[in-house]
Amino acid sequence: MTGVGQNSPSPLGQNSVAKPGNTTGFASPAGDSIEGPLDLTDILDMRRPSRYPVRVAGDALTARGILHGDILIADAATPPTSGRVAIVMLAGDVLVAQLAYRDGQWWLRSGIAQAPAVPITEDAEIWAIVTGLVRTTV
Amino acid sequence: MPVFGLIDGNSFYCSAERAFAPELRGKPLVVLSNNDGCAIARTPEAKACGIGMGEPWHLIKNRPECRAVLWRSSNYSLYGDMSRRVYDVLTERVPQVEPYSIDEMFLDLAGLPNLESFCRRLRDEVRQVTKIPTCIGIGPTKTIAKLANRIAKNRAEMGGVCDLRDAHDRRRHYQDLTAGDVWGIGSKAAAKLATAGTVTIADFIAMEPRAVRDLLTVTGARVQAELRGLSCLPLSLMAPTRQGIAVTRTFGRPVETWAEIREAVATYTTRAAEKLRAEGLEAGHMAVFAHTSPHNDDPWHSAQRGSVIEPTADTAALIGEAVRLLQAGWRPGYRYFKAGVMLTALAPVARQASLFATRDPARSALAMEALDAVNARWGHGTLRPASTGIVRPWGARQQRLSPRYTTRADEMMIGQAF
Repeated sequence: MTGVGQNSPSPLGQNSVAKPGNTTGFASPAGDSIEGPLDLTDILDMRRPSRYPVRVAGDALTARGILHGDILIADAATPPTSGRVAIVMLAGDVLVAQLAYRDGQWWLRSGIAQAPAVPITEDAEIWAIVTGLVRTTV
Repeated sequence: MPVFGLIDGNSFYCSAERAFAPELRGKPLVVLSNNDGCAIARTPEAKACGIGMGEPWHLIKNRPECRAVLWRSSNYSLYGDMSRRVYDVLTERVPQVEPYSIDEMFLDLAGLPNLESFCRRLRDEVRQVTKIPTCIGIGPTKTIAKLANRIAKNRAEMGGVCDLRDAHDRRRHYQDLTAGDVWGIGSKAAAKLATAGTVTIADFIAMEPRAVRDLLTVTGARVQAELRGLSCLPLSLMAPTRQGIAVTRTFGRPVETWAEIREAVATYTTRAAEKLRAEGLEAGHMAVFAHTSPHNDDPWHSAQRGSVIEPTADTAALIGEAVRLLQAGWRPGYRYFKAGVMLTALAPVARQASLFATRDPARSALAMEALDAVNARWGHGTLRPASTGIVRPWGARQQRLSPRYTTRADEMMIGQAF
C-alpha cells in the first residue's frame, strides 16, 4: 500500500531514508502501478464451487492435446455434450475420456483410434466436464 | 412469517470421501475420529452392519459382521473445502445462509414460492456440484426445521425434503417422536421430562410453559415455544464471539517422558495461538492438562494447572506459559494418554501498551505476522517452534488418511486417460 499520499507531505524524501530497502531518494515511476503477479485461480475461475483439479495419468488422449501429468480443470455444474472431455467414474475407476451421445445413451470414445467405445452404464457417473488445462512444463 | 430451512449432508464425511473415490461407493464405510479412535460418520451400509455413532474402531473391527467395513482417518482439510463448496452453492440461491456446523446450514426461506420444489432443486444442485447427498427440513422456527430435517433423513420416501410449516402436519409427527429427539433437549433434560410424565413432543408442548421453565430453565421454555411455532432463534449471520480456544488431543501412543509431553503441549499451544491470531484476539488466561487413560488399567493421574497470564497472542510467550504450567502438574512414571491447552479471557489485541508489559508487542506482532504468512503460503507447520518437536513419535495415528484432493497440488484426484 505504498502510495504518493503517504510520502508527499514529508520534504526531501525523508520517508525514503527511513524506509529500509530504498537506496535512492527517487521514487520509482512505476510505484503507483505495481501489480501482483497474475493469479491463475482467477483465470481458471477456480473459486467456483463446481471447479475441481484433476491430474492426468496416461497418454491415451495425446491426440486431443492432453498429456500425462497435465492438470485439468473440471466443472461439475456444466452439462455434458457430445465431443467434450469429461471426468467419468466407471466401475471403480476415475477416467478422463471424450463423450459421445448415440442410440439414446452416453459413450466414452477412446483417444486411441482402434479402441472400441464403452457405454456409460447406469451405475457410472459423468462426474464433471473438463473446461481448462494447466501444463506446468512444456 | 419467518420460514427456516436446515440442510445437512448425509454422512457428510463419508460422502466427501466417496466424492473422489468411486471404489468406496455402495460399500459400508466409516470415518474415524482424530487418532483413528471412534466412528464419527457412517454410511447407511455401515449402519446396517450395526455400527453405532462413536463406537471405538478396535471393537468394531473384530466383529464378524463388520469384516467388510472400510474406514478412513478424518481428513478435515477435505471436509472443510467441501463444506465451503456447499455453502457457496447455497448462497447463490438462498438470500441468507447461516453455517451452523461443518455439515449443517440454516437457510432463510421466507417469501420463496413453491418451497418444496425449490428445495428439491437445491438438493439436486448441491448433489451435482459437490457430490454430497443432503436432506432439507422446513419449518416456521429453527427448532422445527431441525426436527423436519431429522424426519427427512429417517424416512427415505420423503425424497430428502420434509416440510413442517403446517401445524396439522406437525401434530401428527409430534405424537410419534420423543422430546429427546428435539434439538436443545439433551439426555438429562429428556430424563427430567420423563420423570414428570412427558415422553412425546406432543406431551412436551402440552405442558404449562411455567412448568417447563421450572424444570428446564428458560432454555427449555424457548425450545417449547419454538416447537409451538413461535420463532425465538433468528438466523445469526455473524459467528458468536469466542469464549475460549481449546486444542486437546489423544496421543498416538502413551507418553511417559517429559521431553515428549512438553513437545506435545508446545504443539497444541502453537495451534491454539494460530487460532487466536486468526481472530485478532489475545488470551489472558491459560489452562493446561494431561491425564492417563481412563479406559485401561494404567494408574490414574490428571495434571491440571491454570493461571492468569499477561495478555498475548505470541506463540513463543504462550509456549513458555504452557510449559511452566505443565511442569508444575506433571509427574514422572505415569503413562499419559491425552493432553490439552485451553485459552480463555479472550479480548481483541490491545492497541495500547500495558503499564507492566514485559514483552514487546510490536516486535511480537511482526514476528507472528511473518510466521502466519509463511504457514498460510506453504501449509500448516512449515515454520514452527523447535520445541514442538521434529519426529513427534507421540503424534496422532492417521493410518488411512485420504489425499487432500482439492487443496494440495501434489494430492489431486488422478484421472486415467481413456
